[in-house]
Amino acid sequence: MVAIIEKRDLKDFDWLTALLAIAIASFGVWQIHNATPTEGYWSKQIIGILIALVAFIIVCFTDYRRLIDSAPIFYVGGLILLFLVLTPLGVQVNGQKAWVRLPIVGQFQPSEFVKIPTVLMLAKYFGARKSGNLRLKEMLIGGAIFAGPVVLILLEPDAGQAITYFPILAAMFFLSGIKIRYVIITVVAAAILIPVAWTVGVKTGKIKRYQQERILAITDPDSGDPRGYGYHTIQSTITVGKGGLAGNQGDTETSQSVLKFLPEPQTDFIFAVTAENTGFIGCVSLLLAYAILLSRMIAGAREASDRAGMLVIMSIVCGMVFQIFMNVGMALGVLPVIGVPLPLMSAGLSALLSTFVAIGFVVSVKLRRFVN
Amino acid sequence: MKIGDHVQKLGLRVGTIQVLAFILLTLLGIRLYYLQVVRGEYFSERAENQRVRFIPIPAPRGAIFDRNGKLLVDSRPTYNVVLSNEPLKSVNVTDRVETYSNGLKMDRQFVVERLSLIKKQNEFETMVLKENVGIEDITWVEAHSLEFPELRVELQPQRFYPLGTTLAHVLGYVGEISPNQLKEPEFQDKGFRPGDIIGKGGLEQYYDEYLRGRPGYRKVLVDSKGRVQSELEIVKPQAGQDLVSTIDLDIQNRAEKQLAESATKRGTIIAMDPNNGEMLAMASAPSFDPNIFVKGSSTPEGRQAIAAYWQDEKRPLYNRAIQGRYPPGSTWKLPESVAGLQQGAITVAHSNLACGGGITIGNKFTRCMGSHGSPPLSYAITKSCDGYYYRLALKMGIDGVIKMVEDFGYDKRSGIDLPNEKVPQTPKSWMPYIVKNEGKWSDIRTVYSGIGQDTVVVTPISMLRAVASIGMRGKMYTPHFLKEFKAIPAVGTEGESDYFAARPAVGFAHPEPKILEATPDQWDMVIKGMWGVVNGGGTAGAIRIPNFEIAGKTGTAQVAELGKDVGDKKDHAWFVSFAPAYKPEIAVIALIENVGFGGSHAAPAVRGVYETYMSLHDKGAAPPETVAKR
Repeated sequence: MVAIIEKRDLKDFDWLTALLAIAIASFGVWQIHNATPTEGYWSKQIIGILIALVAFIIVCFTDYRRLIDSAPIFYVGGLILLFLVLTPLGVQVNGQKAWVRLPIVGQFQPSEFVKIPTVLMLAKYFGARKSGNLRLKEMLIGGAIFAGPVVLILLEPDAGQAITYFPILAAMFFLSGIKIRYVIITVVAAAILIPVAWTVGVKTGKIKRYQQERILAITDPDSGDPRGYGYHTIQSTITVGKGGLAGNQGDTETSQSVLKFLPEPQTDFIFAVTAENTGFIGCVSLLLAYAILLSRMIAGAREASDRAGMLVIMSIVCGMVFQIFMNVGMALGVLPVIGVPLPLMSAGLSALLSTFVAIGFVVSVKLRRFVN
Repeated sequence: MKIGDHVQKLGLRVGTIQVLAFILLTLLGIRLYYLQVVRGEYFSERAENQRVRFIPIPAPRGAIFDRNGKLLVDSRPTYNVVLSNEPLKSVNVTDRVETYSNGLKMDRQFVVERLSLIKKQNEFETMVLKENVGIEDITWVEAHSLEFPELRVELQPQRFYPLGTTLAHVLGYVGEISPNQLKEPEFQDKGFRPGDIIGKGGLEQYYDEYLRGRPGYRKVLVDSKGRVQSELEIVKPQAGQDLVSTIDLDIQNRAEKQLAESATKRGTIIAMDPNNGEMLAMASAPSFDPNIFVKGSSTPEGRQAIAAYWQDEKRPLYNRAIQGRYPPGSTWKLPESVAGLQQGAITVAHSNLACGGGITIGNKFTRCMGSHGSPPLSYAITKSCDGYYYRLALKMGIDGVIKMVEDFGYDKRSGIDLPNEKVPQTPKSWMPYIVKNEGKWSDIRTVYSGIGQDTVVVTPISMLRAVASIGMRGKMYTPHFLKEFKAIPAVGTEGESDYFAARPAVGFAHPEPKILEATPDQWDMVIKGMWGVVNGGGTAGAIRIPNFEIAGKTGTAQVAELGKDVGDKKDHAWFVSFAPAYKPEIAVIALIENVGFGGSHAAPAVRGVYETYMSLHDKGAAPPETVAKR
């Protein structure tokens, strides 16, 4: 699978994208250390980055088209992994059965990895079509490919992880020529149906109390029980606000995460830790780094030599934008608390690996922009 | 865009996604600016508030000693299991009830009460779950510290009254400041907070300011469960000042014993040094155990015991010495004798007034208990001739009686350093009501006022103070318990926030004695009569002590009309005295409720106190000077 690295490859290699991703991940290691200085998460993350970089380089220098051709194999393999989670091989962590333990490989989260085969499978299907508007049949087949992993993830159940799959499908449809009027209808329908569904759900009791609380914690954090669900939102907001303009770097004595006021500081709330330690300046720098990284990826999509490559990059972009917005919005107290990791920052090998592999695809597509 | 077609406008679609991504990131940036730059300080403060705690360090309260340095009250270190509400916020406390009541061996119902109470408190409040715990409970709490972070063992000095019921009314007790007190500006200005311990009743209340220490605190860093991580600052407490009182515990114990051995076991005995007003003893029976108030308010049994005290018809909580008001009966004749001489109603040379076996006012005859002819003043005192004093009162007139009330201070508090002293009621205070209701002050009321009945009720302390001043030939001192407050050194560094200035030693202020003007032969005449009561065949001849001459006066205060004075309605017995008669060192009064004749009940009680005094001061023989004056 590993192609011979030619001189031209190194010249065309997207160093900026690669270095940005490594820089953000390293910055993440520092923040994980700030979050839990006495625990080993940060050193594990360094090892994770090294492993991810190996995978990243392999993917970069492999012809993505060959990988897309083999997509059905990866896709089926992915579905099997997701199915294993539901078997006794599945491991429960923090009350959620999203992990699987395999001999030799160890414990990992399939729902993170299966994004890649899903993207490849969808790209293979939608990349084969030529032009014209997206047809209903195509939408149904795309939807079926998408439904496979998502249904299995919902069965775990891990709704938070399942949600992160939707931007992939949305990007596929949008860039495969879905009629704009459908897009508008979907947006308008969502704007109307979501509040209606909320009201009906609350009235009929279909939306359970704890689920309501997650939402109410956002709209009115101080009136709810500050020790209940609002607690996470309040503490995260306090932690972010406490950082101020320049942050309280190194002040572990008053650290919200060290004193355990901030829950899950090394994973879900790593952005709040960043905000506390580096302040507004650090946070804006991080968001700018993401913006530049995303711009580089989108530029790569524009230069892609085939539709499938373009779709791979753009669906990865949409997935990342969505995760960044969900995770940071949660940390800033404007979105409900859903366990979505912050790409490249949150501690966790599975997420890190899948993100680097995804970026590897982007670099691979860009490398082959002149090839036919 | 390398690929694409017109229908799909792929370039535009990719651009839309890019713009949308930037808009989302910008929105996050705006929110960040608001949280960190606009409201940064607010959140910074909130973060500080939730991680910094002030743990008060209680200051030891000053101990109280008797005049010879014997311990009367002090504080003992006790360990309490304290419940804090913070870690309980997200806990369903019904799960805790069983665990606590089993682990700490507590009443289940009480645990339920405490848990529901702590849940209602403000954030970060704490509350005592179990007081005075032993090593077993302490290890249980320590062993479960991870499981139940809301429990903590705290060292708390607890007030301890080693004497129990002895001296309880004088000492008072301490307790948590009440919600009502907290609303009063007097307490608010001094910065009292809920749960603060203050003196309630007695010296504990009167001298609270001195006895109370200045609490310190530990400023600590806590984690989200309220567990202490590190100490940021410590301000050490300053102990309260020790009080050395004028009480002589031996005399006090004897006084309590005399009351305990009395027929009704109800009454009061007070002993005072007439030369300066120092109180040697003050007993009031029945009494109470202050320890019950200190420990009891948090347990159901304790609260029951306290309620029982309040409901007891014998009123054990009430200090009869300063709050009881009784008709003075014949003890009233002493100030009246002095006043009669002072006002010129009688003179040393011509002090005889008829006894007449009684007196007729209008068509009503009021009798004397004996037939005394036309006695001089001294004899009238010695024999307690009512007829004499009916006529003396009439001669003085009610205005003269009121003047006497004012001279002897019966219209005011004695000024003793105890809270809640009552003012006697006299013709002076009754006059406006009687005149309003009856149109005038009738002679019969003047006659009754001559023998300390009808419109006269006085506190035992006011009577002792007045009679002691006769022994001192007109020098009337303010009764008091305070001898000295010991000095306390400064704590902390001067100029720093942890500094408490030194508290200097403080003695009693000793107001100038009130002076009653009378000639030496007038004083001699009254004192001679009092000497005769004990030593000259008077109404208390039975208590005579050879070589220690008591000057006194019996009194039998009528509670109900003649003929109905039986059982609970029996007369109160008085005996008021000082000794030695011509150079007094100690003045003693006894009042025993509802026992009958003063000479047979109150006087023997007083004699016991004198005996103890004599044994303490090695009184074998009376000084020769006293003998010569007789």
